[in-house]
Amino acid sequence: MIASQAIRTAPARPVPGRRGAHAIRRRPATTPRAAASARSRRAAGTAATWDLRLFALAAAAIVLGFALAVIYLSQATAVSATGYEAQRLSATRNELRRQNALLEVQLAKLDSPARIAADAARLGMTRASYVPVIAAAPLRAATH
Amino acid sequence: MQISHWRLRVLFAFFAIASLVLAGRLVYWQTAGRAHLLAGATDQVRSDLVVTAQRGMIRDRNGAILATTVQLRSLYAIPAKIPDHAAAARSLGVLLGRDPAPLQVALDSGAEWLYLQRRLPESAATAIAALGIPGLGFENEPKRLYPNDTLGAQVLGFVNDDGNGVYGVEGRYDAALRGVDGRLVVDRDPANRELALGLRHALPAKAGTDLTLTIDLVAQTAAERELAAAMAKEKAAGGTIVVMDPRDGAILALASAPSFDPARVGAANPEALRDRAIAWTYEPGSTMKAFTIAGALEERVVKPTDSYNDVGYAIVGGRRLNNALGRAYGTTSVTQILERSLNAGAAWVGQKLGAQKLNDYLHAFGFGELTGVDLAGEVNGTIRPLAEWYPVDVGTASFGQGLSVTPLQLAAAYSALANGGTLYRPYVVASRRDADGEHRTAPVAIRRVVSAETAATVRAMLVSTVDNGIAHNAAIPGFGVGGKTGTAQIAGADGRYLDDAYISSFAAFFPADAPQFVMVIVLDRPESRLYGTVTATTMFKGVAQDLLRYARIQPDRKP
Repeated sequence: MIASQAIRTAPARPVPGRRGAHAIRRRPATTPRAAASARSRRAAGTAATWDLRLFALAAAAIVLGFALAVIYLSQATAVSATGYEAQRLSATRNELRRQNALLEVQLAKLDSPARIAADAARLGMTRASYVPVIAAAPLRAATH
Repeated sequence: MQISHWRLRVLFAFFAIASLVLAGRLVYWQTAGRAHLLAGATDQVRSDLVVTAQRGMIRDRNGAILATTVQLRSLYAIPAKIPDHAAAARSLGVLLGRDPAPLQVALDSGAEWLYLQRRLPESAATAIAALGIPGLGFENEPKRLYPNDTLGAQVLGFVNDDGNGVYGVEGRYDAALRGVDGRLVVDRDPANRELALGLRHALPAKAGTDLTLTIDLVAQTAAERELAAAMAKEKAAGGTIVVMDPRDGAILALASAPSFDPARVGAANPEALRDRAIAWTYEPGSTMKAFTIAGALEERVVKPTDSYNDVGYAIVGGRRLNNALGRAYGTTSVTQILERSLNAGAAWVGQKLGAQKLNDYLHAFGFGELTGVDLAGEVNGTIRPLAEWYPVDVGTASFGQGLSVTPLQLAAAYSALANGGTLYRPYVVASRRDADGEHRTAPVAIRRVVSAETAATVRAMLVSTVDNGIAHNAAIPGFGVGGKTGTAQIAGADGRYLDDAYISSFAAFFPADAPQFVMVIVLDRPESRLYGTVTATTMFKGVAQDLLRYARIQPDRKP
């Protein structure tokens, strides 16, 4: 890139120490061979410029593609990992629900009146043949 | 060295032909065989599963779990991965409570994969998992559990191996309880994990409806306890207890014997798979006298104080219908007909009412037709059409012979007397809860059978029957009880009544002032024969005292 700029700017740069600035603007007297050589150099310079642009464009595309691929892969990996994690959490949730259901069944078994009665009988308790009920007297306002 | 041209040509031809064959094969697999390859590849990663809906839970009226479905672990084995079959069988035998020999035979059978035991108790599954034996694994499978074991089995029914509800509430509400299965199509990795980026098509399962019953676990426990004790004492062929709320027809307890264990239905006696409260009929006998008298009072053909001269029998249609034991009581009022349970008196009232009206009232009280209870397997009993009645039938039907009823029909009819004259449809499901919310069952009043005045009069007569009459054994200190005993003969195969076999029953309501409970107790062929009603009234007291205490009902009398 530096060489290209040198080629492109060299003819326009004024040379210190020459007679006057107008001498630069004057078209120098050239021979046909010299003119052809100059055209050839300009053409070569233009081609080199396009090569550099294409090279830069291709390099940028490759870098961009690589970056996109990396981003895609990282996203895909993250989604997969999250999916596996979600699945693991779902399995944990299901297992906890299962354990909870089993505990509810166990609780229902322990709460069963028949089981409580059987345990009470095992401890030597017996059913009361008659349970007296004391009816509460109606409340009255205190009077003097 | 000079290379042979013909060898080069042969080699070239060989590679050319091989290339053509490979190219052809490639074209085939990319075109005609593409679908097959695609299907094979898809099969390797895709699973299409039916997601079984969670079966609904059944609770009692207070929320106690009566039936629920849980996932239990089933133990499977991949024998090739188990290093020592004998050692594994020994360890599993101890934890599973099984003989190790059949386990080892199963492991040595050459099967690639097999179940060793399905739906293990959780403790056993946890202990086996802790062994860490390679080649053993678990798979969850649904199992219907009944935490109260055999309690309420006749009401609940059971779920068979195919997951279908059979019998009782499980059978009647199977469609609602089972829910709707879902579907899950998903891509999986080699470790059988779902791929988050793969195909995922899920149709979620719709869980079954949860049911809350009118059954009260405490009442049910008391009923089953008393029934079991009576069955053991009387060596009866069967028995049943129905407890209803007469105010709306809600069934609070329904016990039947013989019964079965829902967890071991395969081992049950076929007779046990019949709910005697709804799927068995019998000649009710004297418990029907209350309805004859109710009809006669409603039609104003008798009054409670009307009397007749009891000579120990009545002649109806040329046939002699005797009182029990043939005793004569002389001048007897209508109330005393119930107190003394007089067949001749009931026949006298029945004749005053007339066959047509008697038949009408029997039907009006719900006999001879299904009650409409929401349980599977109900039968309707028999009230023969009036055209088929012989003249004597107006007498026999008056005291409950020549017709058949179910215990639940009798309970519903007594409820009508207890609540002031309205016949309600009995029901066991109080509410259903699904994704749309809770749906409560509205009580259904079928018809008014008798007036409130008539019902109150009959109630007073039935209270007198317990206080002063044949059912005095059912009296509960502090509480008014109305009730009537029944002793019915059993017809043999030839149609004649058997001499030594009876069905004893007792139908009652309490507290008498504002009845909250109606109870019907029936014992089939009790060993004490004619004294089976004593056992029935004892059973009644056992259950009734529990109910009164549990419901915190204040005494309505001085003890």
